[in-house]
Formats: sequence, C-alpha cells, structure tokens
Amino acid sequence: MKKKLLSLFLVAVMGVSALTGCGNVTTTEEAGETSTDETAEDETTTESLTGNGDATLNVFLYMQDHEKEAYKKVLEGFVEEHSDEIKEVVFEVTTQDEYNTKMTANMTAGDMPDVFYVGPSAVRSYVDNGYILSLDDYVDAATIESTWGTTQEIYRYDGTAVGSGSLYALPKDLSCFAFAYNKDLFDAAGLEYPDPENPYTYDEFLEVCQALTQDTDGDGEIDQWGVANANQFGMSPYLYSNGVKFLNDDMTKVNVADNAQLKEALTFYTDLTTKYAVTPSVEQDTALGGYQRWLDGQIGFYACGTWDIAAFMDENTFPYNWDLCAWPVGPSGDGKSHTWMGSVGYAVSATTEYPELSAALVAALSTDEDGQKAVSGITTGESIQLPNITELAYGEFLTAVQNGELPFPSNVSILFNYFDGTDKYEAALQETDYTYNAEWFDPFWEGVTNIQTGDTTVEDFLQEVQPEMQDALDNAIELQNSATN
Amino acid sequence: MEKTKVKVQMSEMAKREERWAWLFIAAPFIGFLCFMAYPIIFAVVVSMSRWTGINSLLGNMVGLRNYIEILQDEKFWKAMLNTVIYMIGIPIGMILGGAIAMGLNRKIPMKRALTTMYYVPVVSSLVAVSILWAWVFNYDYGLFNTIYKFLTGNHGPNWLGDETMVKVSMIIFMTWKGLGTSIILYLAGLQNIPRDYYEAAEIDGANGWQKLRNITVPLLSPVTFYILITSLIGGFQVFVEVQVMVSSGGKNYSAATVVFYLYEKAFEHGQLGYGSAIAVILAIIIFIITALNFWGQDKWVKTID
Repeated sequence: MKKKLLSLFLVAVMGVSALTGCGNVTTTEEAGETSTDETAEDETTTESLTGNGDATLNVFLYMQDHEKEAYKKVLEGFVEEHSDEIKEVVFEVTTQDEYNTKMTANMTAGDMPDVFYVGPSAVRSYVDNGYILSLDDYVDAATIESTWGTTQEIYRYDGTAVGSGSLYALPKDLSCFAFAYNKDLFDAAGLEYPDPENPYTYDEFLEVCQALTQDTDGDGEIDQWGVANANQFGMSPYLYSNGVKFLNDDMTKVNVADNAQLKEALTFYTDLTTKYAVTPSVEQDTALGGYQRWLDGQIGFYACGTWDIAAFMDENTFPYNWDLCAWPVGPSGDGKSHTWMGSVGYAVSATTEYPELSAALVAALSTDEDGQKAVSGITTGESIQLPNITELAYGEFLTAVQNGELPFPSNVSILFNYFDGTDKYEAALQETDYTYNAEWFDPFWEGVTNIQTGDTTVEDFLQEVQPEMQDALDNAIELQNSATN
Repeated sequence: MEKTKVKVQMSEMAKREERWAWLFIAAPFIGFLCFMAYPIIFAVVVSMSRWTGINSLLGNMVGLRNYIEILQDEKFWKAMLNTVIYMIGIPIGMILGGAIAMGLNRKIPMKRALTTMYYVPVVSSLVAVSILWAWVFNYDYGLFNTIYKFLTGNHGPNWLGDETMVKVSMIIFMTWKGLGTSIILYLAGLQNIPRDYYEAAEIDGANGWQKLRNITVPLLSPVTFYILITSLIGGFQVFVEVQVMVSSGGKNYSAATVVFYLYEKAFEHGQLGYGSAIAVILAIIIFIITALNFWGQDKWVKTID
C-alpha cells in the first residue's frame, strides 16, 4: 500500500511538472500577423564592450538582428566617449518572448539590469514598485524636446496618472498603424488614388471598396476585395475615426452598451463583411489571412504599420505599387482620421550604481544621431523605424525619401501627420496601453466575429459584452493598485 | 518462519560503496527538491495571492479568493469541458492502436517499415506537425477539403473555424499523433503473451473472437492501464496543439484547454496568482483521477502471474 501511495504521488508530480514546461513554446502570434516576422534567430546574444574605467553597466533588450548591429555601434561610440569611466558594457539581446520571461525572473530575484525596456502600459507598475528611476535630473531638456511630442508625454507619471509628471524613459521608437492601398488595383479599376489631404468618409470608402471588389478571372467567384481587415488592431482605427472611446476619461468604466458612436462605427465595420461583402468572409479569412491576401495582390486596402514598410517596399515580398493613405472618417467623430500609435522606451533601473552614466547611455540609444540615421535608413537604405528626432525626420529622412535614396512610400507625410496631429489627422495610444493588462478588450474583439457571421447583432452584442468587459477592467484596476514592493 | 535480525558487519569496501550509493541517490533527490518540490510549494503560495510578478507577493495575499473566482469563472469551465471532450480521442486511440498492433503482430511483409511509419508522428516535433495539420485542416486549401470537394463537389466543413468541427479536428490530430505510442506498447504486450495460452484454448475449441476476448484483451490490460493513465495526464495538459493551430483559442473559445487558459491568464494578462491557482486545481484533478484509476485497477487489470 505504501508503495502504491508513493507511485501515485510520483505520477501526480509528473503531471504537474509537465505543466512547468509549457512556457517555452515559441509560436508565431496571430496578433502579429501584420508584423514582419524576422525573429528566426531564437537565441540570446551577449556582447561585451570594454573601457578603462570602473563602471559595469548591464543593458538588456530585445531587438532584431539588423537593429542590434546599429545599436551596437551606438554603444561602441558611447564606451569610447566614456572610456575613463566605463569598465564594461554588457549588451544582452534576446527575443521578445524570452525577454518577458527573463524580466519577470529578474524582478523576482531583485537583480535588475541597469538599462532595460518599459512600455507605456508598464510605466505605472514599474514606478510604483520602485523598479525604474526618474530621468528628470539626468537628461537635459534639449534631448527630451528633440523627440516626438507623444513620446515626451507617454513616459511621464505623476503618481496618479500617466502623461504628466516626472519622465521615466526615452523612446526606443514611435510607430503607428497607417492604411495602405494597392495602386495597381486602382489603375486596373480606373479609380483615382486616395487624396492624402482629404481622407475618405465612410461612404466614399465603401464606394471605392465596392468598385475594387471583383471576380477578375470570371469563374463566378469573387477573388479580389476592396479591403481586408487586420484583426483587432485593424478594427480600432475605423472606430476611433468615429470618435469611439471604450473607456471613460479616468479609465475606470467601460462604455460600450449605450455608446451611439460605437454602435454606428461597429455597424459600418461589420457591414463591410456581411452586408456589402467587400472583405473576404470569415471562413475565407480563416483559410488565408488578410495579410497573405494583401501580399498576393487580392486586396485594395490593408493596414500598414510603420514596421511593415520595409517588407512592403521589398519587390520579392510585395511586387505591387502601393502607397500610404488615411483611415476612413466616420460621420460622428471630430472629422479627423484617427489611428493608434505604439512605443517602447529605455528605462534606467532604480537600483543602478551609476544613474548618471546609465541615463547618458539611454539618451545615446534613443537619440544618438548616427544611430537614428542607421535605423531609420538614411545611411543604411533600409528603414526599420522612423527617426525619434523630429528634426531628423522632417529633414534628412524626408529628403532621402524624396530623392529616392531610401525606398519608402511617397505619402510619408501621412505618418508625420498622425504623429504630430493636424486638422485632418490624429493618433493616440490604444486605451489598452493605459490599463494594467488588455484582458478587458478580449471579449469585445473575440465577439465581433459573431456579428460578421450573422450569429448576433451589433445591438445585442454590445449589451451582452459590457458586463464581461467591466469585470475584466475591474480586475486590471485591482492589480494596478495592488500592494507594492 | 520466525524473523530474525542479523546484524551484518560491513566491510570497509562495502561501507565505501554505500557512501557512493548515497551520493548517487542524492543527485536526483536534490534535483527533485530544487526543480519539483520547491516550485510546487511556490506555486501553491502564489495561488493564494494577487501576485503579478511586478508587485509584492507577500503584500497581496488573498487566501482562497482566486479559487472561489475560478469556480465561478465561465471561461475556465468552458476550457475544462473542451479538455474533457478532447479525451474522447483516448479510447479511440487505444482501440485503433490495439487493432493495428495485432495486425503487426502477425507475419506480414514490411512489418518494420509499417511500424516505423506509425511511429514517425510520435518522434516528430509537436509544433512542426501542428503547423502541418493546420494546413491539412485549412478551409480553402486544406488536404481534407480538397478531397471533399473532389468527391462531392461541395465545399467541406470549416475544420478549425467552426465551434464543433474544431473539436473533431483536434481529436483527429491528437489520435494520429499518439497512435504510434499505443501501437508500440501494445505490440510489446502482445509479444509477452505466451503462445501456450492460445494453444490450450485452441485445443478446447475456442474461436478467434473468444481468444481475443478471454486471452488477449485481459492480458493486455496492464498495457491498457499504462496508456490510460499517461493519456489522461497528458490529456489534461494539452496546450501546444491549440496554441499553434488555433492561437486565439478558437471561435468563442471553443478550442481552448485548461492549460491554454492558464497560460493566457498568467503570461499574457500578468495574473500569476490566478494562473497558479488554475495549475493547482488541475494538479488536484489529475491526482484524483489517477488515484481513482489505481484504486480501480484491481478490478480489471490482470497480470500473467
């Protein structure tokens, strides 16, 4: 009997232990469908750069290989400049998945690198729990003001809300989710290109999509669609452009059940699939996603993140002429085309022995001119991101694009318009970037498919989903406010 | 016979050997303490907290609140139901595996080649074959629907997109993936059954069905038991297939499993406390099911001796 109990116990242990192994699986996230998938290298690399001083700085980041090369040069320059202070800069780079795991481990062990990433959504938690240092005393105003307005705001926190107060990070990048169109399909259909000065209204957009939706080979089946929508990230711009906000101003209450703007925008968005059939159907989308269909030239309009541009400019990936355009504008918003932006920032550990040196290193990574010229493609001919320095963006970067030295769509100004805001363009972070986690948005996005398949109506759906979203939001707020270290 | 205790005086060499023995035992035992016992205890502690990995663990202890919430959590129960439904594949796999093993146990040509073919899925990377099968099940371009369209002229089912079909798809996939293991185990079991049992039965005039029912099946029961236990434990832990083939968890969460939900909660939504509580509940369920199995095995598991 004793033996039996023992074996039982061991079997149970075997069962539990198999659970612990499941965190290591690497899969291609569907949410990242629009991102360029270049994370083939699945390993962590560590480089050591040495000087003659005493200070050792640990830098822990995730990035792609070609980015790493550019930033390594920045670090080499930094070490050279401070060689009498620095003994060693350990530059460790890994994949995004691995990064999160390792950071959790570092926090648990209380052993933080000197420089690491923080996203806008984590600024509050990191500051409240004493992980990151305010950069106010270490970074000069000129450096901060050289970057985009958005990135000057989103890493500030005053103890209650993000957006003002002390600065806690400098941007690694700023990106946005713009819209793109396939010029060749417009030519074939004899349509005029979208005008960057005057974004389409919902109605105009629908009309163009209907003209683009065709059976090109005459076999009785539609094989070219006006638009394909890139999951939840591609849905939001339609809604934002009709003035939709999911949460109230202090981000404590979900507002979907009786939200007329949302109802109108979501009806338009789902009608594109159900009523007007200018997108592939839900079934067709499960067979081959919008991203793949866009690359195959079956789609008129598709979302284009700033990080997608290099791939779309590559003839082998996307052998069509294309350009950027604005997301369509709904009738009940502020009349502007809206989209969302994203960013990640460099932060300095609150426990670093060398705050001044670490902050200087962060400033170099973020705003070193040569580094920015390399990653934005001015000197390398391949653009990974837009420059963080606005003067560089509107200056040498724009010139390089206009001169054709840098392969880039000619409507590049659309990105700048979104970044800086104009009377026709506006962009902000997603609301999920301001809450502890994005779980409250899941039920909304997951349920939208049920409208597109005709299983429910917009009205019913919005009524049903509200309490579920509120529950998850309450949960996120509780975790955000949980006892700190 | 009376038991007598005899104290044996150990030689120097035997003593030295014993010390080495302890050392050998210590290696896996310390490994067990560090990599099993400690994490399990830690998980139990975390499961009673609202720990996020960022905030303070001991400052956020909430007792059994996570457990109470899980029991009222619709998504958890949905995931649990899916997980149990997937286990329909276990008996199917055992019957298929047993039948194929009996076929392979005969003197048939190409026996080795066939065994290898059945076993290849087992040694293949789970992630790789999951990606492969996602294509087999593809709505427009998949192998199944291409054949279906060729045969019937109609468009086949939406294997991974439909709430019911996605479960069928997963069961087919898991059965295929696990088949090789049951075949090999059953084959070994069959070869262990002494020929004389069958000869004796033949002399008594037993037909094939009677031999199968009264000799083969009962004497394979230890193998069946082993497969059942390991499949049940594995069945509760299904994760990779779902993550790869229907990474969103399927339409209305129709494909998600308990471990998938656990992963989402703990690692995507940063709720390590809640996720750990799910893990503990799962461990308890596995323990109970395994205990029931061991307790019930006396009633149906027969051994040769």
